[in-house]
Amino acid sequence: MKSSERDRLFELVANPPPGSKIEAAKKYGVDLTVNVRRLLLTPTERVREIEAALRFAEDLQTAMDQMSK
Amino acid sequence: MIDYGTTLKVLIIADVNFVMVGGYAAVAHGAEIVVHQCLELCYERTPENVKRLATALAPYHPQRRDALEAISFVLDDRALLQGMNFKLQTDLGDIDLIGQLPGLGEFREVARDSLAVNFHGVSIRVASLDAIIRSKRASGRGKDLNALPELEALKQLRDSGKK
Repeated sequence: MKSSERDRLFELVANPPPGSKIEAAKKYGVDLTVNVRRLLLTPTERVREIEAALRFAEDLQTAMDQMSK
Repeated sequence: MIDYGTTLKVLIIADVNFVMVGGYAAVAHGAEIVVHQCLELCYERTPENVKRLATALAPYHPQRRDALEAISFVLDDRALLQGMNFKLQTDLGDIDLIGQLPGLGEFREVARDSLAVNFHGVSIRVASLDAIIRSKRASGRGKDLNALPELEALKQLRDSGKK
């Protein structure tokens, strides 16, 4: 994705057309800036991010479990 | 690449005062793991702390996620004190720095209702489940309100286990 395309998407997220799905998602509370950033990644990079996030979440839960023992 | 474990260690080593809030704090309390989320940190807005925070994150090239690429942004103590909440993209992943949380307030109030957790040898503060619930209820956004049934059920399960 080119820099200009990225900026166009960010502009859409920052100022979504009234009544659009983007506006609805934003009002609902979805942080679309994350989605836009992930669109810049390859599918492999996205999977790696998910794996890293999962590892972190599991480590967190393990830390909490150990605290309550 | 996402490495939130390193993010936490870097901040603790730099003596930054923060509390983990939001989705990962909920995950820490046992909520369903949602991997598409940022690391949300409520930071203390004192001049000394924001300086430590900016210095600690600087090597990881923090940039605003919600700004056009052409707009240059430098995360320093002045920028942090002029704003309140920051959606950042860094080499360690997406980090939201939150100065004030709905229903809770600023760092001091959030820290008062948090617990210390030993995470890989460093002590981090995580918002309590009660605090997360209050904040999500106060935000009033659909996404946060939809998370409440699970969090409130978790709280009831946890409280039942204590009896």
